[in-house]
Amino acid sequence: MLYRTAGQFKTSYRADQALFPIKQDAFLLGVILICAWVVFPLTASEFTFQTILTPILIYSLAALGLNILTGFAGQLSLGTGAFMGVGAYACYKMITLMPWMNPVIAILLSGVFSAGVGVMFGIPSLRIKGFYLAIATLAAQFFLVWLFEKWAWLYNYNASGAIQVPNLDMFGLYVAGPQASSMTQYYVVLFIVTLLTYLCINLTRGNLGRTWKATRDMDIAAELIGINLMKSKLTAFAVSSYVVGVAGALFVFMWRGAAEPNLFDIPLSFRVLFIAIIGGLGSIMGNYLGAILIVGLPVVLNTVPSALGIHVESALLEHLNIMIVGSLIIFFLIIEPHGLNQLWRLIREKLTIWPFPH
Amino acid sequence: MKTFTKLALASALSLGLAAPAFAEGLFAPNLTYRTGPFASTGIPLMDGQKDYMTLLNERDGGIGGVMINFEECETGYSTEKGVECYERTKADAIVTQPWSTGITLQVLPKTNTDMIPILAPGYGFSPMANGKVFQWAFNPPVSYWDGASMIMQYLSGGDMGSLSGKKVVLLHLDHPFGKEPIPVLEAMAEAYGFELKLVPVGLKEMQNQSAQWLQIRRERPDYVVMWGWGAMNASAIAEAVKTKFPMENFVGVWWAGHDADLKQVGADGKGYKSISWSMPQPDSPLMADVKKYVIDAGKSTVEDPNSVFYQRGLVISMFLAEAISVAQAEFGVAEINAEQLRWGLENLNITDERLAELGMTGMVPPFSTSCSNHTGHSGAWMLEWDGEKFVKASDLLMPDAEFIAPLEEANSLEYAEANAPWPMNEACN
Repeated sequence: MLYRTAGQFKTSYRADQALFPIKQDAFLLGVILICAWVVFPLTASEFTFQTILTPILIYSLAALGLNILTGFAGQLSLGTGAFMGVGAYACYKMITLMPWMNPVIAILLSGVFSAGVGVMFGIPSLRIKGFYLAIATLAAQFFLVWLFEKWAWLYNYNASGAIQVPNLDMFGLYVAGPQASSMTQYYVVLFIVTLLTYLCINLTRGNLGRTWKATRDMDIAAELIGINLMKSKLTAFAVSSYVVGVAGALFVFMWRGAAEPNLFDIPLSFRVLFIAIIGGLGSIMGNYLGAILIVGLPVVLNTVPSALGIHVESALLEHLNIMIVGSLIIFFLIIEPHGLNQLWRLIREKLTIWPFPH
Repeated sequence: MKTFTKLALASALSLGLAAPAFAEGLFAPNLTYRTGPFASTGIPLMDGQKDYMTLLNERDGGIGGVMINFEECETGYSTEKGVECYERTKADAIVTQPWSTGITLQVLPKTNTDMIPILAPGYGFSPMANGKVFQWAFNPPVSYWDGASMIMQYLSGGDMGSLSGKKVVLLHLDHPFGKEPIPVLEAMAEAYGFELKLVPVGLKEMQNQSAQWLQIRRERPDYVVMWGWGAMNASAIAEAVKTKFPMENFVGVWWAGHDADLKQVGADGKGYKSISWSMPQPDSPLMADVKKYVIDAGKSTVEDPNSVFYQRGLVISMFLAEAISVAQAEFGVAEINAEQLRWGLENLNITDERLAELGMTGMVPPFSTSCSNHTGHSGAWMLEWDGEKFVKASDLLMPDAEFIAPLEEANSLEYAEANAPWPMNEACN
């Protein structure tokens, strides 16, 4: 009833291939965008910005980058954390070498460096596939984190070996560093995430996206119909690492404020991979749903006992939290192995014919 | 729509519930780590901190008639969780106790705008001693740089010149905490002519240090100084025993002096030393009260109340309690706010008489803080493992202030410059 598509006729190919051929979808997206751009910022507290809204957006973007590589082009990668690190360190070096640079431009440019590094580590994908490729990207993970530790130039010879985000302003308003307000940072993140998501949706629906999908589904067949595999795989690595690198720069500059090398170690790669898998490989929306489950839910769960007025020891709460989130992940993967995105699609299909199932 | 409703519900929940639970009294949260890889060393410290506040609440009805709401927020030593805890508690908190150098670095620039004092006793960023730059940060009673200075003085037997030509290995965790003493040790190596070799231990290698100890054997150093924490200490001590390194030439920082780490090697660890600014006093009047009001009343989770770390936890909470009472006396109000507590932390005066009143004689050396000196530089004792427990092996050692002060000044100004615009406390001189 709510999702009835009857009566929505398409009279041209253009209309049929629109981003949202069904009105309700467009309406829903509109509601979400209004929430993200207007409602949340007006109602959220500092705590909500810092622990829920901004991190969910940043993790979603990182998962989106990984999803392009793993979900759309079928190349398994375990080096996401390190590529995020490349973006963050590139941004840090640019900002400290050229303090006049606009921070948003610097963040968008830092992805270029991680794209370059990503392509370099993507070259083995031309000869190896699947788990073997995962091991090759694992090498990138270990090598790059080691480099962040040992190459003192990267962190400006700071004694603690960590990078610290200086105060950066844009048109007289602080956007990064301790002086920046959470709301400004949220808007910068939201702007970049919206922009990149829009670009990625269109990329994956276009010619490039189709070559990626063909490569993923069967590379020999793809080659036979005239797809250049090298081009297809390396562009996937480049676009994916670009998005991941931007996410890494946002991660440090718009949220954490400081970072030590081991922040970009393998647990971060796994976390992003889990978000992509639980959200659904080969989907755009899944990344957001996955990030809400893995990043947002534990924070919300932590506030539940105190809101209900029950006193629970903090350590016990942490253990409970890990158990609840873990079992939810298993639960969702059992009821829908293809991720939350597929779950949503099934619900939507059911809704379009509801209440008459035939 | 279901997913969307869930989504909306989740966000509504988070928006509505974000306000932390507010209980009666002064809210002094502690960012603990009773879980994760550092839990074994964290738990006794956190127990000590909590039990001291419980004692004050039970015995005296709080401080100045106000109960202390000493709530814990679990971080598992993760910086991300730490920042979450900081954001969760900062609205009503009068202090933040970040309990990790990583979290301290992250929170340090924010405290200027949030106006909450950071209390990081014996850890954090050493230049925090310069109160003129770091208005809101306090690391009493000694900083890591003081620790490095005192260790080297002890090793030299009081005459730093005698170190000339010696070889010293710094076995350190490859993490901001482990890298803290490097600048001061490098400066000392240059000034006094000893050779400094850095042997980093990565976070992943903490429990397997065979490569590091192979390197140490090859280097044949005169001394090994250790900046270790958590699982790293136990493995380092076990490896040192295995490779038959002379234990009397092996010295750790105060966080590497955990009784349980040494108990596993027992008599083989005899001679191992750890510098410490606290000393367990099992027969002190304070311990009698803790036993009576807290442990016997079943309000504590402590396992070994006579361990170095548990009693250090008591001392840490004493700093906070003293700062609260100093601020209460100065401002004439019982329910002080964060800004008044900052004044209190800046005007701590822990004298021998005061320690005797508190029943804590000998648990910590006397010291005082001031506007420009947020550390206090109390000095510390060298503790030595006698095969069963830690015993005092030296008189009170004092850090070489003349050597450290210029470094503190330079590094704190460098920090302020990198984070410009950074507010200075011009009232100090």
